[in-house]
Amino acid sequence: MSEVAGTELRNVDKRFGGRQVLRNVSLKALPGRRLGIIGPAASGKSVIAKLWCGLERPTSGDVFTLGHRLSTLPELAASQQRARIGMLFQNYALFDFLSVLDNVTFALQRRGDIPADEIQDRAAARLRAVGLAGSEHKFPSQLSGGMKKRVGIARATVAKPELVIYDEPTAGLDPVTTQKVYDLLASDHAQTGGTVIAISSDVLALARFVDDIAFLHDGKIRYLGPAADIENVPDLAVRQFVRGEQHGPLSQHVPTPAEDA
Amino acid sequence: MAIRQSIHRSIYNLGSKAIGAVTVVRDLWLLFIGAIAGVLRTMRRNDPSRRPGEIWRQMHSMGNRSLVFLIVTLGFIGMVMVYQSCLQLARVTGDYSQVGPQFIRLAVSDFAPTLTSLMLATRVGAGIAAEVGSMKVTEQVDALRMCGVAPIDFLISPRLVASFVVTIVLSILACGIMYGAGGLTAHYSFGVNLNIFFDPSNVRNSHVILGLIKAASFGIAIPIVSGYCGLAAHGSSEGVGRATTAAVIGSSFAVIALDFVISTLALLVMPGGV
Repeated sequence: MSEVAGTELRNVDKRFGGRQVLRNVSLKALPGRRLGIIGPAASGKSVIAKLWCGLERPTSGDVFTLGHRLSTLPELAASQQRARIGMLFQNYALFDFLSVLDNVTFALQRRGDIPADEIQDRAAARLRAVGLAGSEHKFPSQLSGGMKKRVGIARATVAKPELVIYDEPTAGLDPVTTQKVYDLLASDHAQTGGTVIAISSDVLALARFVDDIAFLHDGKIRYLGPAADIENVPDLAVRQFVRGEQHGPLSQHVPTPAEDA
Repeated sequence: MAIRQSIHRSIYNLGSKAIGAVTVVRDLWLLFIGAIAGVLRTMRRNDPSRRPGEIWRQMHSMGNRSLVFLIVTLGFIGMVMVYQSCLQLARVTGDYSQVGPQFIRLAVSDFAPTLTSLMLATRVGAGIAAEVGSMKVTEQVDALRMCGVAPIDFLISPRLVASFVVTIVLSILACGIMYGAGGLTAHYSFGVNLNIFFDPSNVRNSHVILGLIKAASFGIAIPIVSGYCGLAAHGSSEGVGRATTAAVIGSSFAVIALDFVISTLALLVMPGGV
């Protein structure tokens, strides 16, 4: 079943009703490397993350994740593949009926092949690493946005997945905390050596973390290349987005609140 | 030309709505089958979607927390029904001897399960749609899938079992409440002898079976319709609000439609027994 080595979108289209979100997108995350995806709001970044996790199916095209064609796998088989993927959701998606500790241990407990002591140890170590030791018994409603984000990171990485997808890992965080979060993600990556995909609107902080970067606009990949070169890309849309300029091709499309959601 | 276009548009709209309705019924059926399969799957101790104690938690949430609401509402409905019946009889014959025996027959076979379920459709249905819908719009349902958990098994199946049991139990209780409240009303307002009113000789086994079948069916329909509305929620809190409204309307409609279907089938199967 192993058809490609890595994680790849091949000529993917995705429609939601009458709205086309992705248009013939091809994108590859190389094994062991860090890929960043940037783009304006409602450009389809989170949809790409969900396609790679098998949470959404493409309208056409192929989705490969860790060497498996996830776009055609039945739900049960896709669910088994998801055990190899960690995902930080844009809005944390913490289970509000579980404590911080239970949120982090939830996926490991469901696997059924890890002793309870080891699960507790791994979760405690992860919570220490994200600076949340002592908050184990709090519930998500008692946490700040930044703390929820860190619980989400702990949950995404506790199983040491081969592929980790961070959807807006630093949205709403101050610059100091943002750098701390990226240092933590870099340290995790150095230990596990897996593939990392990070989606963010904070271009400069993301560019320091990832190896390669892709710019997505209007459902198409407008740039894919080394993160270090992102500031010197000639494409006007990329340049406007990276430099935060008021006028340019991106200003012609202002997303409606419904699109933004 | 304009008339022809208008007719075409009307036919197109009608066809679209018909296809939409068929799709919803198909999806509800698939959700029902999925939830039953989920009940069987989560019986295994090592199933990832198993959540120990969840059925009891749901039964407490649906049953205990609906108790006062149901007792008060159905008590009043029983009083009003008997009062109105006696009032009409007083104008016609003045003979109240058949009020109690006919009322308990109707309560057992129809009023108790249907009215209880309509009450539960508003309270329980709204609760299920709001819980599941808010999990859907905050991506917790996707997070469940990332953890290897089947959302239908985890969210809908325990609610299905709990609602099935609770609706039957509450329908039996509601029958007693309606009968008791009605009897006291007849006695104190119209002087009906309590021994004459509380005469259950008209109630046959077929009435009891029919009432239980209805309660069981409504108990299954409410979490399926509400869960479907919750899982279909999208957007933000506005989407959850829409899902909740749709769940209350859909569950209530399902109860009434099932009542009609089951009553009709019962008349065909046992014409003398109902």
